[in-house]
Amino acid sequence: MNNVYAAIVCGSSLLIALSGSARAQYFASQGNAAGAAENIEGFTVAGKASVSAKPNLMEIDLEVSASSELSADAIVKYRDARRRLHDAFTGLKLENIAVEERGLLVDQKGMMMNPYYFNGFPQNNRNKTEVQLARKLVVKGSNIRQMDEEAVLQLIAKLLDVAQDAGARIGSQPEFNPYVYNPYNRSSSGLVRFVLDDIGKLEEQAYEKAIEDARARAERLARLSHVELGSVVGVRELIVPGERNVNADEDTAHKRLESAKFQEIPVRVELLVRFEVHPQPKGKERAANP
Amino acid sequence: MRWAILTLVLLPSFAQAQIEVVDQDQVSNDKPSRPFVMPAASTEVKEALDDFERFRRRNAWERALKALYTIPEAQARRFIDGDKGFIVPVARKRHALLNSLSPEGRTAYRLFYDAEARKLFEDADGPAELGNLERVYSAYFLTTIGDNAADRLGDLYFELGRFDRAADCWLSILREYPDSDLTPALVALKAALALTRAGRVSELTSIRRELADRYNDEKITVGGQTGSPLQLLERLAGADPQRADATVSTPQPLTAGPDLSAPVEPAWQLRFADSVEAGMTSPELTQWESNPLSTAIPTAVSEGANLFVNYLGHVFALDLKTGKLRWRSAAFHHLEVSAMQNQGRGNNPTRYAIMASGDFVWSLARDPKDQNFYAPFLLTCRRAETGEIVWHSKDLADYAAFDLVSPPLLAAGKLFIVARTPATPQQQQGLPQELVLAIQPRDGKLLWKTEIGTFRQNNMYQFFYYNQAPVAEPRLVYRAGALFVDTHVGVLARVDADSGSLEWGFGYRTDAAPIQGRIFFGPYQPPDPIGISSQPLSAGETLLIKGVQSDRLYAIDTSRMALLWERPIAKSARLLDATEQRLFLGGPELSALNLGTKALAWSTRLPHGSTDGEVLVRSEGLWQLTPRGIFEIDPQSGAVRRIFRGQDLGAAGGDLLLTDDRLVAVSNRTISAYPRRPAPARAERGEDPALNRKRASNE
Repeated sequence: MNNVYAAIVCGSSLLIALSGSARAQYFASQGNAAGAAENIEGFTVAGKASVSAKPNLMEIDLEVSASSELSADAIVKYRDARRRLHDAFTGLKLENIAVEERGLLVDQKGMMMNPYYFNGFPQNNRNKTEVQLARKLVVKGSNIRQMDEEAVLQLIAKLLDVAQDAGARIGSQPEFNPYVYNPYNRSSSGLVRFVLDDIGKLEEQAYEKAIEDARARAERLARLSHVELGSVVGVRELIVPGERNVNADEDTAHKRLESAKFQEIPVRVELLVRFEVHPQPKGKERAANP
Repeated sequence: MRWAILTLVLLPSFAQAQIEVVDQDQVSNDKPSRPFVMPAASTEVKEALDDFERFRRRNAWERALKALYTIPEAQARRFIDGDKGFIVPVARKRHALLNSLSPEGRTAYRLFYDAEARKLFEDADGPAELGNLERVYSAYFLTTIGDNAADRLGDLYFELGRFDRAADCWLSILREYPDSDLTPALVALKAALALTRAGRVSELTSIRRELADRYNDEKITVGGQTGSPLQLLERLAGADPQRADATVSTPQPLTAGPDLSAPVEPAWQLRFADSVEAGMTSPELTQWESNPLSTAIPTAVSEGANLFVNYLGHVFALDLKTGKLRWRSAAFHHLEVSAMQNQGRGNNPTRYAIMASGDFVWSLARDPKDQNFYAPFLLTCRRAETGEIVWHSKDLADYAAFDLVSPPLLAAGKLFIVARTPATPQQQQGLPQELVLAIQPRDGKLLWKTEIGTFRQNNMYQFFYYNQAPVAEPRLVYRAGALFVDTHVGVLARVDADSGSLEWGFGYRTDAAPIQGRIFFGPYQPPDPIGISSQPLSAGETLLIKGVQSDRLYAIDTSRMALLWERPIAKSARLLDATEQRLFLGGPELSALNLGTKALAWSTRLPHGSTDGEVLVRSEGLWQLTPRGIFEIDPQSGAVRRIFRGQDLGAAGGDLLLTDDRLVAVSNRTISAYPRRPAPARAERGEDPALNRKRASNE
């Protein structure tokens, strides 16, 4: 029995000792951040800026897809559909129009749903799935910044008409399952996408303005706090224009801003800027507090 | 003990070895997974046939033949699997089995059954003549009297106008009875004459060659005329108005396609959708537009100077020249009421049909306001001039148990239509049966009805969720005295148009297709296009079929009962028209299949697809009404030659009809009649006789 008590006491002691070391580590990390604590001294302010510009590009997503029991048939259907679409846009003979192709998706057409059951009971294991070939095409109209609204409208109408007459499906839509109704599944982001992809210069301006805005805010705080504002000691980007998470299947990787409306697109920048502060000289302090 | 354990361990493996390896793709009338079964023979019949095979292998002729003759005569008319997907009557199977007997078997057969057959033959007189001869032909053909019975039966069928059966009888003597005492030249001539009248061109060509090669030196006398068989054939068939080439090769020529090279204003336009929508409030309009009824395209047919239209049971007649409404059965805006009720969604717009000939118009419709999901479709005959009802299937007791499901077909002076018996689950009714009805067009008298088969499914689960799978609607084709019924649930059946006897079926691969309309509840949903059942197509003597839920295209030689070829195809495809070289297909795309190589030649996707709607197919082009106008397609390349926007934009596409002086575009909103300009190029383009194969439904 004594041995049991001894074991419990030893175990408890060990636990207490271990937690002590863990605590020591925690506080040590706090203690090691003494330098950082010094850095916290100063003012951290947000600097915001926005510079707007009209889009320079418009895009229309099209989808060419074909499916068949025989892969050879699917290829003929897909090839013809793609060719007709290219021919239709080439026939427009517009210099600022280009058709860009995305990757080819080779898939199987939706597994057969059994209309007599719900929740996707497979109808029959022997049902063959059809081969489906699909490719997203993006029709790009460039240099639209110089155009007036009427001209842009005319161009869009022409492109949409040509695409529809060529039998293209406008917009990339997920395969719709007629047996499971979900009205939220069919969200639309508009037929046309207006893009600002030459944002380098605008971004520069926006950053400059954001820093200016941050400095103005910090100066106000310094004035109200009776300290003197020093130099910038740290900056953190909160909002960076045109950046998005990109995965392997993402079509566009470069920086760009998009809008569903034909309007000026704002290039927004938000920064968190930390300024050094120094105590005010005595004379100034007195002048500030009569 | 050890032996007992060993036996116990090994027994299951023996049992496993006995499991029959069944080809999953093999089509069989008996397969429980098939959605439709033709009237199946009993298990005893199958056992009798198995016994026959077993005893025949052992040369136990008496027992083998006895097994065959245990089949009762009533069962001889039921159906059993034949070769290569064909489903044949037991009598035909029995006939084939007897013909396959070895010489010893034949000798034994004659020994056992000659007396019985002879007795039947001698008694074949008066009312019993046809029955007795038929019995000898099907059950005792190999006896010494079999050839004589077949010859007499052929004569009888020829006199009755059943040339197909007559040809079969005489051909049996030529092909299966080598020791016949009958003059082969005479039998061959008779067979050739029957084949001529039955329109079986390829078999006629072969027998004509035979007459020239083998019997040219013989002189025979037929109908008071003497000459060589070939001369007599030329003489008799030449004077015959129903020559094979007249019935098959040169049907009524189709008019050339429309000339839409320049814009043209419609001569008149009927905006019936505006009448329906007049006075609707905004929520009502939303409700209407989300209802499948709003996309219903009226079915229309032209006859003489009139256009007859069936718009969801509202039948009306228009003057083709002026567009003036001659008469109508009800006001269009009454449709609003049915659209406001959910049961209106069970109303399948593709099932409405109309047909006109001479002074009468027949329409197939159901009452849109009927609250019964399973309300039957009824046939109404009206006077073309006034719209006055001549007869209505609702008033005739013969039709009380039927839901009429196919577009009616007028051929050989009869009106044919496919009917189903109802299967209302709430009333614990059995599985629905499918029948063909032959009707006297003017008074609705039922001439005959023939059961094609029974469904192995009903619609019990169809109430609760969306069902937008294509609905199996049977289609009828008439060819040279035979009626072909594509059930679209895995069976093409051949029925004698005169007597109504079901001759054979062809089972094709298919998934189960719903057999009744779209019934669904829930939030409103924009209707999507749904493929429709295809009409079987004639390409020469070949019949092309594709079930609505089948992923196979089949080419069948209906005369020889042979499957010529089959090919995988997208389930969504539908047959549009065929020439000797090309088959045009609808579906999500419009496409052309090269019938020589069986390869897809081209495919063109048109706005809204080509899932439904009547596409005009001519040698010089294809025309389809789409929501973006009438598209003209080059039949060689599939390129869109021109788009004629017209006055039908904003509609959901529809049908195109061509009359002598009008191109009629029928959409879900309007009926527009465009004047057909005299096309100077049309004469230069000429007509492609190979394309003129659209004879199936308009004889």
